[in-house]
Amino acid sequence: MKHFTLAALTAVGALCASAVALHAEPLKIGIIESLSGSQTSTGRLYATAVKYGVDRINEAGGFNGEPVEVTEYDNAGGAPEAADKFRQAAADGVDIIFQGASSAIAGQLTEDVRKYNLRNPGKEVMFINLGGEAMELTGDKCQFYHFRFTTTAPMRVNALVNAMKEAGDLGDKVYSINQNYSWGQDMQAAVDAVADVGGYEVVDEVLHDVNKIQDFAPFVARIKAASPDTVFTGNWSNDLLLLMKAAGDSGLDVTFATAFLDQPGNIANAGDTAVGHYIANNYDNAAGADAFAETYKAATGHYPIFVEGHTAFAVGTLQSALGNLDFDGGEINVTEIALALEDTVYDTPVGPISVRKEDHQTIRPVVVSKVVKNPKYPTDDTDMGFETVKIVPGELAVYPVQDSCKMQRPDA
Amino acid sequence: MAFMYKTCLLVLALVLLVAVPPFLGLGWQNAMVNVLIASLFALAFNLLIGQAGLLSFGHAAYFGIGAFATLHLMIAVEDGLPLPTPLLPLAGALAGLLIGIIAGYFATMRSGVYFALVTLAIAELFHSLAPHLQGLFGGEAGVSSMRMPWQGMTFGSILEVYYLTLGWALICGLGLWAYTRTPFGRLTLALRDNEQRVRFLGYNAHASKVIIFAISAMVSGVAGALQAISNETANYSLFATDVSAQVVLQTFVGGSTIFFGPIIGATLFTLFSFLISDLTRSWVFYQGLIFVLVMLYAPTGIGGVIQYHIRHWGQLNWARLAGPYAIAVLGGLLVAAGIVYLTETVAVLFGEEYAMRMRADEGALPSYELFGFIWDPAGIFTWIVPVVLLGGGGVTLYRARQRITIFWESMGRKGDAETNSSGAAQ
Repeated sequence: MKHFTLAALTAVGALCASAVALHAEPLKIGIIESLSGSQTSTGRLYATAVKYGVDRINEAGGFNGEPVEVTEYDNAGGAPEAADKFRQAAADGVDIIFQGASSAIAGQLTEDVRKYNLRNPGKEVMFINLGGEAMELTGDKCQFYHFRFTTTAPMRVNALVNAMKEAGDLGDKVYSINQNYSWGQDMQAAVDAVADVGGYEVVDEVLHDVNKIQDFAPFVARIKAASPDTVFTGNWSNDLLLLMKAAGDSGLDVTFATAFLDQPGNIANAGDTAVGHYIANNYDNAAGADAFAETYKAATGHYPIFVEGHTAFAVGTLQSALGNLDFDGGEINVTEIALALEDTVYDTPVGPISVRKEDHQTIRPVVVSKVVKNPKYPTDDTDMGFETVKIVPGELAVYPVQDSCKMQRPDA
Repeated sequence: MAFMYKTCLLVLALVLLVAVPPFLGLGWQNAMVNVLIASLFALAFNLLIGQAGLLSFGHAAYFGIGAFATLHLMIAVEDGLPLPTPLLPLAGALAGLLIGIIAGYFATMRSGVYFALVTLAIAELFHSLAPHLQGLFGGEAGVSSMRMPWQGMTFGSILEVYYLTLGWALICGLGLWAYTRTPFGRLTLALRDNEQRVRFLGYNAHASKVIIFAISAMVSGVAGALQAISNETANYSLFATDVSAQVVLQTFVGGSTIFFGPIIGATLFTLFSFLISDLTRSWVFYQGLIFVLVMLYAPTGIGGVIQYHIRHWGQLNWARLAGPYAIAVLGGLLVAAGIVYLTETVAVLFGEEYAMRMRADEGALPSYELFGFIWDPAGIFTWIVPVVLLGGGGVTLYRARQRITIFWESMGRKGDAETNSSGAAQ
């Protein structure tokens, strides 16, 4: 049995090895995303948007004389599986990796990329992180070949506080409820950090289990007892939905300041409870000119939702960076692509984004929106959607480089 | 003679395992590393269920502990501790053994369902505790380290990791096999068959079971250590129930009653996920289906079916048997094709992309592409294909199965012929 299997393996291996490239070297992109398991719906959105972006590159003539190739790898929502798929992608000769649906997986991949590059000088791989917002990815774990093309907790909170204060919706008593892991802890720290600037007092804060709580009524009772004006929460998925539902059921009169209210299904499930609540995000259709949203819809059949907008911009930024490079059909040099990406400023419909060289965090505008009835772009087939309150420019939203970031740059 | 034959086969397998991987692509080398790790983990797990009759639902705990202990040792080596890299799995073995003794002491106080539930609870304890112990388990980002070079070996390539893994898997695998030959190994089997009798013979059944549990946990720890060395990171998701569930599935599909059975299951499932997971999003469904079918039609697992045929090799009239077996395989393939067709069609029709196109087409049913053809969801042909595949395959399989059953019955082995004839058709 075993030796038969091995013989078969050898045959297949030999076949794979004999396929030799006859053309110029194409740029290979790998999407290592949660395409099965509980995070599939989000993983799918990232993959769709990356493909949309790559199609734009290929429509404009590709790169290095060849169309850019995209391969999807399913990490099944787990870090060990992601490590496995990374090795598979590296074996397939992938140059750039995209991923977004989990900070834990982003943490795994950035480590894998760092080690791979140490061991394979001249054949570097680059990691474009689309959604891993954990602070340590640009702190403790920051490295030259990792780029974060999304906001982080402080950026979202800074923007929320800034816009809500201007709109007179912030109040002076704030409650903070978050999930008990790195992201929730980052959110809580960010809410505490801007208390003075925002002129509010944090009356109470709580960290709860991730995706395990079925009934948020006890938490809502605690919130009620503290009688805040605004509740900050970084919760996503079920935890956000159930929290809002419990708040609606108990008649709690507060404004929620959130980060993931635009996740598909949230508005539809929350119903009228959602009206008046805030969200800070990378992009919203109502905030920019219509052109991008319409082009996206023409290509994919729907307006960009949730993470799709900023993912498409990340590939757009890569496209501009590639425009300044020419490898003349020869070998792809990922280090040069990374250096070019550092120098690229990309104009999105909501303002320019650029990469901060010290930690490879993007400096980007943050869109603060509010849920209203009859908006320009309704969400989830409801009559509700987001109305832009303010676009906070990147320089205002961004936070200082973390001390823990010690980036080693390639010798050039 | 039989012994000679087995030894030759084993040596041949070893030679292939050592000689072939350098010629494989990186992806396959990596898959082979995973096969070895999964096989060793399944062997360790099978010491409990297959030999001692104790079904553990929480073996992820010892696998994970082994991985984290090894990573912490790796960090120490990175910081200058002079320990040869190939000896790193010792940390996994030690940690697995220690935790195994403690957890085993409590778990083996009961047997049957209660034992299973206690092991499940212990694993869950680790799973819910680990995220809060940042220093030990590294929180969400996990613990990460790097393999250090040793004696001219950099351990930078997957091939070097493969040989390191192979070495440890062989040592531990052969150790477990040798264990079954010792008096204590016999006692393990006796505990499975009749614990009361063992007690009456004057043995301390509880202490024996703790030892067995600890050995199983120790080898699981080594498997975890090998995974930590290969991945160079681990986070608390290693303690999740699906890690425990996976090893149960692999062991039972491979066959828990024979020693090498779990290796078959582990190899099959690991290669299955390597080959299929990027082809279709429904691969977990297929994996579950294989498990259900094997449990229904070949309860002794694939290994059990193979062993049954080997045992009766001399009596088998292949001239009469080969035909029906080939037809059964054909029937099985047809049914499989029908199931795959239906599953993938459902995945397309109820998928997000199709919903979008339906919205764009104002509710009409747009045609879609699958297996290189264009299909029309309202077309009659689209639905005739699976009916023909499933119906034809089913009838073929049923016929072949009848003929195989007649043959086995004519050999006078009515009882287990049922399971084996259909098992071969899988």
